[in-house]
Amino acid sequence: MSGDEDGTRTGLAAFGSAAVTDGWTRERISLLVAIGLVAMAFAPSFQVYLFTEFLIIALFALGFNLLYGYTGLLSFGHGLFFAGGSYGVAIVLRDLGPVIADVVGSGIAPVVTFALAMVIAVMIVVVVAIPVGWLSVRLEEIYFALITLAFGMLGFSFILQNPGGITNGTDGILVLLGSVEIGGMDVRLGDRQLYYFLTLGIVASATYTIWRIVNSPFGAVCKAIRESPDRAAALGIDVTHHRWMTFILSALFVGIAGALMAGLASVASPYHAHWTNSATAVVATVIGGATFFAGPIVGAFIYLYVRWGISRFPALEAHWELFFGALLIAVVLYFKIGAVGGLLLLRERLFGAETSTDGGGETE
Amino acid sequence: MTTVLETEELRKQFGELVAVDGVSLAIDDADITSIIGPNGAGKTTFYNLLTGVLKPTAGTVRLKGDDGLVDVTGAPPHEVAKAGLSRSYQITNIFEGLTVRENVRIARISRDGSRMDFLSRADSDPDMEADVGEILTLTGLTDIAETPCDQLSHGQKRTVEIALALAIDPNVFLMDEPTAGMNPTETTEIVSLIRELNEEIDATFVVTEHDMDVVRDISDRIVVLADGAVLADGTPTEVLNDERVTEAYLGSEGQ
Repeated sequence: MSGDEDGTRTGLAAFGSAAVTDGWTRERISLLVAIGLVAMAFAPSFQVYLFTEFLIIALFALGFNLLYGYTGLLSFGHGLFFAGGSYGVAIVLRDLGPVIADVVGSGIAPVVTFALAMVIAVMIVVVVAIPVGWLSVRLEEIYFALITLAFGMLGFSFILQNPGGITNGTDGILVLLGSVEIGGMDVRLGDRQLYYFLTLGIVASATYTIWRIVNSPFGAVCKAIRESPDRAAALGIDVTHHRWMTFILSALFVGIAGALMAGLASVASPYHAHWTNSATAVVATVIGGATFFAGPIVGAFIYLYVRWGISRFPALEAHWELFFGALLIAVVLYFKIGAVGGLLLLRERLFGAETSTDGGGETE
Repeated sequence: MTTVLETEELRKQFGELVAVDGVSLAIDDADITSIIGPNGAGKTTFYNLLTGVLKPTAGTVRLKGDDGLVDVTGAPPHEVAKAGLSRSYQITNIFEGLTVRENVRIARISRDGSRMDFLSRADSDPDMEADVGEILTLTGLTDIAETPCDQLSHGQKRTVEIALALAIDPNVFLMDEPTAGMNPTETTEIVSLIRELNEEIDATFVVTEHDMDVVRDISDRIVVLADGAVLADGTPTEVLNDERVTEAYLGSEGQ
């Protein structure tokens, strides 16, 4: 426990304040981070896009890590819930958009439709996660990883099969958010800056909620199950039920990330359900450090920006997975505590600040 | 005296091997009962049957409930724990990555049924914090409350083991080899802790133990298991002077 957290900061700010020495008060850091986040909106369009994508992947990994780092279950199928979110939004926009426009009038219809699409998408994800989780949490360790992988790929093939024309097969579904007229100005919902702020707001609220969850009695029991499931059971905890509830919560946050991605990328793609997308959350979390709250956020940042860096060299781009393979091997072999752990260790070396980096208990 | 734990013709068979062969026992309130027996006598299997880790082939396990004995045969471990039976492990089984206080708090969260509360802070309930503090004081862990368990000594971990099991307010407390792997000083400390706890809290203790000095020291009653069945049952003086008991021990160790 790093002690006196008041929970009002985002995980990134939490990480920031942990990584600097005295004189940098928490308020100053939060202010700097806030200014930075606002300034980000005025970066070149592509950079805004990349940063928005980073926020979404960060939420994806944070949701995933609720189950992995905090409860000890490694899912290889969270792409299923990511796709559930993106397809939920895409299908509602496509099929219910016109209906909603008839009801509320075309003026604000795009806003209402998108809000409704987000809510319905997350509900769909929860409805899928209930049975999938119920079946999966009966298994542990590698078997859990395999069954979630199987469910993910089942979802992927379901989308490709295009049952009843609902998923549009390999092409995926085009997502158009539309525009509203505000004070005579035509405001596109999909506008880079607007969508960035929307994503920032949702990801920040979701991150804060996850922060509350991991520090709650519910989260304490998750950590207990991670440390020793049979001991937890011997204390009267229904381990299977608790894992199931965590699974559903985890899927819910991943669903929000998926829903946001549909709006950003303007498409719900079958590859959102593919295991390679599930692996994105795993890789980001492991790179950043699963035992730290901010680990998945830092990992997502490294993941996306290293990939972007590589993509600037066309000769290397075709093999970018190779670089990630190497990076992952380096982290697993030499930095078991991930980038966040590595940075804290570095801070300790440089400033002599006391930092506990051992064990799985350092979860904040 | 009322019976708090009762087994009737409890039996467990693994293929051809009969590990527990029709054990009928009634454990009385507020006693310290030791269950001893040579290696392979079926003690561990018997414990696993009581705690719901294994399902018996035949027979029943009953625990004292609010009105009389409740049948918990074949119930999963968390339900047996909820029914009032708590255990400590022979091989230390605590939440290593968490602090001592967090360990005890988790047991308390389980007992209070607040594990589905995912919005308040885990340490925000003053009543619970007071309870946790009390258990830490009782077990002498207050000074190391904020230490992560993976930094504790073996003896300290064994004490956390006991604190965890106590924290759920059990009616019956099964201790599986509480002094396992301890040096003489630590053993003395644990023995006096068990005595103290037996006086201070309203729980019945069932202890398995290899150290005969400890057994003689703490037991009100000794039950000897051999080949999965009860060989002897009585006060320490009766049982430890019983020829069949000596024979069972020497016989198995002599081979």
